[in-house]
Amino acid sequence: MATSKRQLPLCELLQILVSISEQRPNCIEVTKEIADILQRKDPMYALLVFVERYCEIDLSSRCSSGISLSTMGSPQGNRTPSSSVSDVNPAATLVPKSACSTTSTASTTSAGSSTSSILSLPQAQDFPTSTPVNSKKFADSDSSSGVFVRRGPIQRNHGPNKEERGDLSVIKERVLSAVSDRSLNSYRSGISDAPNSRSSNSSKTSAVMATPTGVPDEYRTHLLWDYYKVDGNKIPKAEIAALPLSSQENLLLDEVLHCLTGVRESLLVPRQPDPTTVGLARFETGFDINMQLDRSLAEMVQDILPLASHFMGMQKIATATDGQGQVMNSLNEALQDLTHDFYLLIVQAEQELRQHRLTLQKLLYYLQPTLWVMEEIWTSLVDIQLSDYRDAAVLTYLHERIKRLEGDRAAQQLIIGMARKAAEPYMRMLQLWIQKGVIVDRNREFLVEDNEVIHRDELPEHYSDDYWERRYNVRRDHIPSFLEKYSDKILRTGKYLNVIRQCGKRVMPTQEMHLEFDPTSERHVSVINDAYYFAARMLLDVLLTENDLMGHLQSVKRYLLLNQGDFTMQFMDACEDELTKNVDHVLPMTLENLLGLTLRLSSARNDPYKDDLHCELLPYDLVTQMSKIMNLKEEYWQAQPRLDLSGLECFAFTYEVKWPCSLVLNHIAISKYQMLFRQLFYCKHVERQLCKIWKENSIAKKFSPQAAELYRSAFTLRQRMMNAIQNLEYYMMIEIIEPNWHIFIEKMKTVENVDNVLRLHQDFLDSCLKNCMLTESSHLNRAIFKLCKICLKFCDFIQRSQRFFLDAELKSMVCDTHDSADSSESEQESLHRPQLETSLGPEDTFSERVKRFDLEFTGLLISFLKQINTMAKKNTADCFMNLVHRINFNAFYSDQMDKLCAKDAMG
Amino acid sequence: MPSEIITLQLGQCGNQIGFEFWKRLCLEHGISPSGVLEDFANDGMDRKDVFFYQADDDHYIPRAVLLDLEPRVINTIMGSAYSKLYNPENVYLSKHGGGAGNNWASGYGQGEKLQEEVFDIIDREADGSDSLEGFILCHSIAGGTGSGMGSFIMERLADRYPKKLIQTFSVFPNQDEISDVVVQPYNSMLTLKRLTTAADSVVVLDNTALNRIACDRLHIQNPSFSQINNLVSTIMSVSTTTLRYPSYMNNNLIGLMAPLIPTPQLHFLMTGYTPLTSDSDINSQQPVNVRKTTVLDVMRRLLQPKNMMVSTGPDKSNHHCYISILNIIQGEVDPTQVHKSLQRIRDRKMAQFIPWGPTSIQVALSRSSPYVQSNHRVSGLMLANHTSICSLFERALNQYDKLRKRGAFLDQFRREDIFKDDLTELDESRETVDCLVQEYAAATREDYMQFSVKRGAGSADSKSEDCRSVTSGGA
Repeated sequence: MATSKRQLPLCELLQILVSISEQRPNCIEVTKEIADILQRKDPMYALLVFVERYCEIDLSSRCSSGISLSTMGSPQGNRTPSSSVSDVNPAATLVPKSACSTTSTASTTSAGSSTSSILSLPQAQDFPTSTPVNSKKFADSDSSSGVFVRRGPIQRNHGPNKEERGDLSVIKERVLSAVSDRSLNSYRSGISDAPNSRSSNSSKTSAVMATPTGVPDEYRTHLLWDYYKVDGNKIPKAEIAALPLSSQENLLLDEVLHCLTGVRESLLVPRQPDPTTVGLARFETGFDINMQLDRSLAEMVQDILPLASHFMGMQKIATATDGQGQVMNSLNEALQDLTHDFYLLIVQAEQELRQHRLTLQKLLYYLQPTLWVMEEIWTSLVDIQLSDYRDAAVLTYLHERIKRLEGDRAAQQLIIGMARKAAEPYMRMLQLWIQKGVIVDRNREFLVEDNEVIHRDELPEHYSDDYWERRYNVRRDHIPSFLEKYSDKILRTGKYLNVIRQCGKRVMPTQEMHLEFDPTSERHVSVINDAYYFAARMLLDVLLTENDLMGHLQSVKRYLLLNQGDFTMQFMDACEDELTKNVDHVLPMTLENLLGLTLRLSSARNDPYKDDLHCELLPYDLVTQMSKIMNLKEEYWQAQPRLDLSGLECFAFTYEVKWPCSLVLNHIAISKYQMLFRQLFYCKHVERQLCKIWKENSIAKKFSPQAAELYRSAFTLRQRMMNAIQNLEYYMMIEIIEPNWHIFIEKMKTVENVDNVLRLHQDFLDSCLKNCMLTESSHLNRAIFKLCKICLKFCDFIQRSQRFFLDAELKSMVCDTHDSADSSESEQESLHRPQLETSLGPEDTFSERVKRFDLEFTGLLISFLKQINTMAKKNTADCFMNLVHRINFNAFYSDQMDKLCAKDAMG
Repeated sequence: MPSEIITLQLGQCGNQIGFEFWKRLCLEHGISPSGVLEDFANDGMDRKDVFFYQADDDHYIPRAVLLDLEPRVINTIMGSAYSKLYNPENVYLSKHGGGAGNNWASGYGQGEKLQEEVFDIIDREADGSDSLEGFILCHSIAGGTGSGMGSFIMERLADRYPKKLIQTFSVFPNQDEISDVVVQPYNSMLTLKRLTTAADSVVVLDNTALNRIACDRLHIQNPSFSQINNLVSTIMSVSTTTLRYPSYMNNNLIGLMAPLIPTPQLHFLMTGYTPLTSDSDINSQQPVNVRKTTVLDVMRRLLQPKNMMVSTGPDKSNHHCYISILNIIQGEVDPTQVHKSLQRIRDRKMAQFIPWGPTSIQVALSRSSPYVQSNHRVSGLMLANHTSICSLFERALNQYDKLRKRGAFLDQFRREDIFKDDLTELDESRETVDCLVQEYAAATREDYMQFSVKRGAGSADSKSEDCRSVTSGGA
């Protein structure tokens, strides 16, 4: 089909080859050898030898993709044109970097796997069936027909080896056999066509190197044919105007066909690309039509020429974007198929031309459907290229384009086909992710990112809390728009699968799924949803059923939130002596032993998770811990100079959690529990001390009724303290923890996924913390701490005084039951005066001391209550006010609070 | 090492209510009358060891000591299905079996004589527990054994176990009917003194109120002892429910009692329970009196005097008030309701509280036994320290004074050792009770802190007259 004019002289071919292998070490030998072969044998054979040589060199040191590709391409391209196109090894275009390695190394990379999977796909059937143009080919039953419909009686010559795929050696064998019985003519026709069938070719390379032309090299970046002026041995054309119309037409047809494939001709001269053009025009080629051409023909040609321009634009973009990610490769693959069909069309047209059955009219008729297809594709591609869309953005663009083309069904179908093809690798990744939780994404195109660096065995202490948060991310800018809504689900699906796998369970998807982008049916949505529900359900089952998360939470609540009151009491009984020491003198082992003992002896012994409970002595007090949790700043985690803390202030239970429960009961959660625990535990301790002195004081009922008056102020102060502390406890436990827990449990009944579990649990804890005044913003917890302190001091004071007034009263009762009130007081004063020295003056009497405690305590309490009051005014949503109502239930403190408010108001 | 509690049952009444109490505990914990744990009771979320311990064959044995000076009631118990439940070594019957003849002095004297043997039992029980928290004493204050012997044992316990709590469930005699025990006022007075000075807390079970409740609320015309005792056992079991089914708060006796008792003297507690049902109600399918039970409902009802198990008489002066309240709520309770109910009570001022200190209604949410079916969603027990309890003591004082003025029936007292020389014990007891009444009256006033007892003042009537004037003046 190629005319003799098109053939390259042997010397020129040699020159090309030399220029290719120029940089090679064995260039000269090879050149010699090739020249030799060229002399004696078929040039085809020479090329083959050259390729072989070339690869020899290349295997070790891979050269730039462009050149290797072109060399790879040439033996294929030199084959019979009809088969060579269908023979295109997709790997070559898909994975340029591994072009050489496809023959040698079995690659395990993502590209490799995708390549092999593509190889196994019956490509010829796969693509066209989903192509919209296919729907238009009514009578055409041949499934191998391309996008471009041949409407005429063009005879197709089937490629003899259509489904032939395979490695280079097979190709080589075939080529060898083909060369032997093919005429030089067919070779020549091949060589004229081959460069165009492949996007890159050795002959193009030759053009770059060999003959300088008017087109600057920088515009021929991708070694496309691109109307490159090749100064071949062209037969000088006769004056076209002198020819009869039919000859003109034939000549023109020939030129048009060439022009459509990007070969430069003389009648239709492409205009110089203007380097300054921007936008759409950069991918457009204008043509100057020879003025001598008949006007009618010229006009018809004018209709066809945009096709050439668009085709070339498409080619340019396809090559420019080649190797820029799987999505682009896949899109290019789709374009390749289009190109193939296009070439097929041209070939058939050419054949008809050879048989002198083609007219320009006919050609226009043949090309008519292709015209708009190509324009549509070209527009889309240019948009993609100009906006520099890559991977997900390309899909997004195509998706939007599909939407915009609503109404133009044919064009929409075309883009859908392209989008579907382009989305293939993406959907494959997606499928792998939502089905197995695996990310194979070398080019970082997928919307989920895996930050995993550490294996489970070497999980650092805080790792499990980060797991959820950090391991997988959604890359917001990598989400195709049609997956935007589901990105969260997609992320979680795979995440869940990974968690399940980390639990040592096998992830067995129940049903096979095939994920394919389908903008019309949105079938992928249901697939994603199915996968998501499957994974969520499974992980939830693993957590809730197999690992009994709720049981663990109950257990944590029992111990760390003091729900198991009798256990707490017993533990306090057992550890009291140890915990009142300075924290430096507390032996953790002793505590641990006592804890074990208590657990086994108390009602907790029936708890299956009791052994997860341990003691911890934190080297900081509650306030510090709070700021740590709240701020999460690194500097807070540095051990601060140890304060003079008692064991009690440092003590906390800790709960050992195993994977995967540690997902929910993570380090932060445990810390929050611990904060609640410490406050509750401290209050409980104070309450116990108050109860203790209550019991000791109850001896006073034996005192003479007159003497009792003396102690009444102390007793009522004790009771006020007890009231405050107990109400604080009641408030925290029954008004905060219990209702929140209740809500938590209710919500947990309908929970659907683990993220929700996490969120609910976190909400529960945060709500508890906030309402138990354990947030940094309010200094309420400091006030609570101060209140507790003063109570403890008072207990201490009463305990020390106890024996003195015991002596005094019971003695006085013995000696004088009647008017001993005064004497007993003085006696007792004298008794405890020397002993009771602290910050207060030694002259203080018992009642004065009590009065001071009273004042101090009441002052603290009132300011505490007032603080809550003012906070409640600002924020009515908080339920701190309930505590005030509780402590001040019978309005006992109202007057004092009013007074304080009035004082504040005064200044 | 739980906080164990040893129950002492004294006299006819004490043993009867004790018997009902243990019956009830067995039912709630799924323990059969012979002490074997029922098959269904294996979830183990309750604490049986507060009141029971396990014998070598794993049978549950109540930490109970049964004491009486006459064999009738104890023989009934030992003849019942529950005979195998008790440790036979803990059942003590006086040898001569003649009882105390409803004479406090006789009971007291016999207690003194038998103390060796009695405290052998008590000490053994106390030593057998890891960390004994205290004793619960069941008795009546009117009879002979429960009051007299009970008084003696209380005093001895307080000396012997000064760190242990002594709580009593003391049955006060029915004021509405003429007692066949003529010396009842003396007995009451003498026992009241011990309850004041030796016990840490006294849960007053007023027979007057119990009978009235049985009639009015349960519609039983002539309530039998067992029906009354059923009420009592309900009170006793529910008031210990936070110990047996521990939760956040009030998990030991001291935690239960300490907040209720601000000053040592004011330790007489009233109880109230709602909704009330009797066995007959459940069996006869009669319409139940209380249909809707919410937390607020229960708490509101508990504040109504008619539900109180103490008959304080009409509060004419309206100055009596609550010193403290603890509500133990059982059933399906939404914890959020508690706050709302408290708020409502507070806003509506449904209860009057002391003016001299902060106080509130504490609400303990308690689990209840899964083995006992209740036909109410929510039920509640109130333990309250209310100043009106002093009317009970005033009544006792009045009756005592009447009798004492006449010097009636003192002969049988003089026969006993304690009154051999003179009757100062009686006078001292009267004075202690009088002081108690004064203190309760003073507790209604703002100046309670400055209150001091007037000794040898006139009758209690004038006293309450006095305090009324003070309150009205203050208000």
